[in-house]
Amino acid sequence: MAFFSKFISRVAITALLFLCTTLSSQSVQATATDYDQLFRKAGDLQSSGDLNAALEILRQIPTPAKGEEGDDFVRSRMQMGRIHFSLDEQDKALIVTKEVLALYPDNSEAKNFLASINKQKRPAYMNFFKDAVSFLPSLMKGALMTLLLVLCTMLISPLGGLFIALGRISPFKPLSSVCWFIIWFFRGTPLLLQLFFIYYGLPSLGITMPPMTAAVIGLGINYSAYLGEIIRGAIQSIDHGQMEAAKAIGMTYRQAMRRVIIPQTYKRLMPPVGNEFIALIKDTALVSTIAMVELMRSADQLFNTYFNITALVLAALIYLLLTTIFTFIFEKIEYRAGIYEHR
Amino acid sequence: MNTDNQYLLSLKGITKHFKSLTAVNGVNLDVSSGEKLVIIGPSGSGKSTLLRAINFLEVIDDGHIIFEGKEAGYIRKNGRLHLDKPQVISALRSEIGMVFQHFHLFPHMTVLENVMEGPLTVQKKSREEALEIALAMLAKVGLIDKKGVYPATLSGGQKQRVAIARAIAMKPKLMLFDEPTSALDPELVGEVFETIRSLAVDGMTMIIVTHHMGFARELADRVMFMESGNFLAEGTPQEFFAEGMNNERIRTFLNRIL
Ligand SMILES: Nc1ncnc2c1ncn2[C@@H]1O[C@H](COP(=O)(O)OP(=O)(O)OP(=O)(O)O)[C@@H](O)[C@H]1O
Ligand SMILES: [Mg+2]
Repeated sequence: MAFFSKFISRVAITALLFLCTTLSSQSVQATATDYDQLFRKAGDLQSSGDLNAALEILRQIPTPAKGEEGDDFVRSRMQMGRIHFSLDEQDKALIVTKEVLALYPDNSEAKNFLASINKQKRPAYMNFFKDAVSFLPSLMKGALMTLLLVLCTMLISPLGGLFIALGRISPFKPLSSVCWFIIWFFRGTPLLLQLFFIYYGLPSLGITMPPMTAAVIGLGINYSAYLGEIIRGAIQSIDHGQMEAAKAIGMTYRQAMRRVIIPQTYKRLMPPVGNEFIALIKDTALVSTIAMVELMRSADQLFNTYFNITALVLAALIYLLLTTIFTFIFEKIEYRAGIYEHR
Repeated sequence: MNTDNQYLLSLKGITKHFKSLTAVNGVNLDVSSGEKLVIIGPSGSGKSTLLRAINFLEVIDDGHIIFEGKEAGYIRKNGRLHLDKPQVISALRSEIGMVFQHFHLFPHMTVLENVMEGPLTVQKKSREEALEIALAMLAKVGLIDKKGVYPATLSGGQKQRVAIARAIAMKPKLMLFDEPTSALDPELVGEVFETIRSLAVDGMTMIIVTHHMGFARELADRVMFMESGNFLAEGTPQEFFAEGMNNERIRTFLNRIL
């Protein structure tokens, strides 16, 4: 098999080479008078404004063979360069100029032209900034939506998670089973599928809601389930003596949880919860699939309209900025939450 | 159940099983108001389980706990004991203070907040009242200058004194101490005993589990020797240490720890 494909590619390359040589030998046979005609035609097209057609005509004037006179070649390429330059296509102007310089390194016209192109040519980062400025407004709008989603979920999910955790460790079996089921279901199915179900599935049961509501509900429940398990672990990691000491001074289970146990989980919770929230910032991108115009969707729209990678790069930078800011905030909170452990 | 009022606490036939193991086996005990009782005995004999049962931290399988003349903490259904409603249990516990071997201070609260917590949360006292009580209790255990710090910065002895302050802030009628000095370096034991002694002087009723015979001898009105879930011998310290030497088991125990 490998041998066969090698053979095929050999044949293909040989055929290509053959084609190229015949084509180039044909054009070499053109005479000087033909070129004058070509120049004239190109000039007409240029003055009528059809620059691309002019470029095509000029392109037909071939590279001179060794020892052959090349004035027409140089003239055609320099004219192409000027047309490209006028079209703001500095890269292409550069290529044709370099074609000339490759054969005639001392050609002063080409050398001067090269210098003026280089002076004119905008560096890549300038292009980036130009695009960035034009993309930023709609990206920022999207980012604001993403931030809003993140903040809503950050408010909902710790509360939901706490209830799920307390339900899980409750001695009341039905409650504990329900909470187990919630965790099992929402951790065990893709968030994307849950979002689809809420936004596209529930309407068939007569429940419709705007995308934002669907997104907040989906993210809220999903993250509550994840945080529920984390919070349960943190509660159960607190020394059993704490509960006993709280009960011994007469606290009820509820008071002991609220005053003694749960406050001690904060420090332990911050690293894993911070992790979840960083994941959340990125997971919000999934709601772009249910007609929410947030950061990912905005970037995608720009990319599809202008086919410009800058939109995606900018979106990545904004996501990074968000995750960095939240990482710092979480570290600060973790330090504060554990201050009583410092000696 | 017929009860008499002369004792603060009466235990009748207290029994507690852990699966096939009987940790407490039909214990009877009467404690008068103001009495200081010391329980000694080998490891695993059920001392902690008994103390925890008195504070309803262990749910007993059989027996009666009579506190201030009233049967307390359990409802009997079909011959089986069920712990009473949480509010009833909490109310009982707030009248019985307990001090643990490992202190169990609340690490996220300052010393002052630890002591204020009971009056504030359980007794629903005002902040000012709770503060006043807490400061008085901290003064009593000699740690008023530590009121603003977190437990992590305290020595073991100081932690245990704060734990005692936290317990007595509830103005309990009975104090239970489960090996209050066992987790301490020897040089820190004295300050904790000093604190307990000062409570005794105030007339607090207390049951103390300890391995320190000197302390038992000095403080106790009565010494109980526990083994295999029940009391094997009891008496005033003088009687106990004199007659205990005639009992093979007690002699072995005392010789080992003295
Ligand atoms: N929660 C429990 N589950 C199972 N067995 C237990 C439990 N608590 C105590 N026990 C067992 O009950 C018996 C009595 O334990 P307890 O802690 O009351 O003894 P102790 O007299 O306090 O001993 P020590 O001097 O070591 O503190 C021991 O055999 C112990 O292993
Ligand atoms: Mg014990």
